[in-house]
Amino acid sequence: MTERERFLATMRYAERDRCPIVDFSFWEETIPEWHSQGLPGHVQISSTDEFFGMDSLGESAPIHNSLFPGFEEIVLEDLGEEVIKRDWEGVTYRTQKTMRSIPLYLDHTLKDRESWEKEFLHRLDPNAVGRVGTDFAKKLPALNSPDQSRLVTVSGGSLYGWIRDWMGVEGASYLVYDDPDLFEEIVETLTALQVEVLQQVFASGLKVDVCTMWEDMCYSGGPLLTPSVFNRLLIPRYRRITDVLRANGVDFTWIDCDGKIDELIPGWLEAGINIMFPIEVGTWGGDPVAMRKKFGKDLRLMGGFSKHVLTKGPKEIAAEVDRLTPLVEEGGFIPMPDHRVPPDVPYSHYLFYLLTIRERWGLGINLHPAPALQEVTR
Amino acid sequence: MDTQLLTSAIVAGNRKDAKALTEQALAEGLPPQEVLDSLIAGMDEIGGKFQRNEAFVPEMLIAARAMKEAMAVLEPVLLAAGIKPEFTAVIGTVQGDLHDIGKNLVAMMWRGANFSVVDLGTNVPPEKFVEAAREHQADLVGLSALLTTTMPSMKATIEALRSAELPKAKVMIGGAPITPEFAKEIGADGFAADAASAVTVARELVAG
Repeated sequence: MTERERFLATMRYAERDRCPIVDFSFWEETIPEWHSQGLPGHVQISSTDEFFGMDSLGESAPIHNSLFPGFEEIVLEDLGEEVIKRDWEGVTYRTQKTMRSIPLYLDHTLKDRESWEKEFLHRLDPNAVGRVGTDFAKKLPALNSPDQSRLVTVSGGSLYGWIRDWMGVEGASYLVYDDPDLFEEIVETLTALQVEVLQQVFASGLKVDVCTMWEDMCYSGGPLLTPSVFNRLLIPRYRRITDVLRANGVDFTWIDCDGKIDELIPGWLEAGINIMFPIEVGTWGGDPVAMRKKFGKDLRLMGGFSKHVLTKGPKEIAAEVDRLTPLVEEGGFIPMPDHRVPPDVPYSHYLFYLLTIRERWGLGINLHPAPALQEVTR
Repeated sequence: MDTQLLTSAIVAGNRKDAKALTEQALAEGLPPQEVLDSLIAGMDEIGGKFQRNEAFVPEMLIAARAMKEAMAVLEPVLLAAGIKPEFTAVIGTVQGDLHDIGKNLVAMMWRGANFSVVDLGTNVPPEKFVEAAREHQADLVGLSALLTTTMPSMKATIEALRSAELPKAKVMIGGAPITPEFAKEIGADGFAADAASAVTVARELVAG
């Protein structure tokens, strides 16, 4: 089976040779730390898939479905170990030069109707030339080739996550109450943009397997957006996006949302978003096994392997692999660490995890070679 | 006036009403302590709704904002009457961690519960927590972390606070990766899973 066939068979609960073996990448600090623990110096984040013998999660069609153009990125102040920048989303933040974790946000360009109309609206024109442009056209033949063995994905963007990015959690929360019409107008603008861009993608003839959306609209305690607002304003608009997708043969839409998502899952399922990712375990105890039991097979899952278990040791890792294996065998579930692997995971533990999942979930069938495991014995 | 109106304005997060009603209550001669208690009752009510999943982060934020605006009117009157917050809390995100959303929310809720709150910001080294706790004679020190990799900074901060011998200062911790077990392991006095329970735990801790 190709990676593409395997992924789709997994999500369709159909027969397959084995489960996809994938990961969720690593903190930037993890790789240098692992270099000191035996990871060869030539291995960088960009080459971990190859070194660890991972399947890919597909190839994404290059489209521009957000701010287009974005804001000019500028360094406002160099503070030595830290730096203050304004990024392409008009967000000013302070960050450590050597870390790539969430920075400290200082200011947001989007504050109110005036800044929306002046600074943002024109950057969200669905018909701006180049949203589905030359980069897309260049890649189209390869993506549509009969030899395309990888999953073909296209982004469906975000209806709340971008607002949160552009305004901050507090700003976005206040907006819902201070100017509900503007909040809805922004959500509608984002929806219309996604619908138009996807229609352009399908008009090109691209055969898409999965649409990828993201929201990051939850924290460890639950939704950042009030569920009644989510249900009223977002769900019907997600549905408009998934209607376009289904009309063009795309059965699966995954949503990347950290945090405690369980309260929002019924709404997403109702709207046709059917793969949840990454099922964070560490922050709220998300459990793919319990979620399948609660929501049934309509809910597909990716992620759900606690990265904190990876810090503990071989016994705990093996036990967690054992616990998840029946769900892996049932299908509709592609396990992987529940977020990027942090530097406090010992390299030896990760190698043990890798060896174990290749054996238990990969069944030793059609696996990519994993140079990392060449000298490892159990 | 009916002080329930004040409470309701906070629960609804209606900052204009909260401010106007506070002004009205004071103009009508209501004792400032009674006004304060009515506002705090509103924050307690929204906190309870949050814990019962009847209110969410946006509702907490607008309630805290309404409280802040009402307090801007009330505080000078309280000061003039010699009424001060009974307890002082120092809060910050521990060294190495720049995240502040959770910390800010807890600080807002503590202020709403009439704690005097000294917010040290993010990436706060242990010695700065010690210095602030001593300077402000803190009853409570709150440590926040989002990253698993900065959880050891919490331990170092608690060790520094214990070494500094500040017997009055109770330490509570919170943040996405924090568990009650971890809190116990590093010697924290308390742990809160969210901003609303942070108020309950804080009150229990300072009550001794």
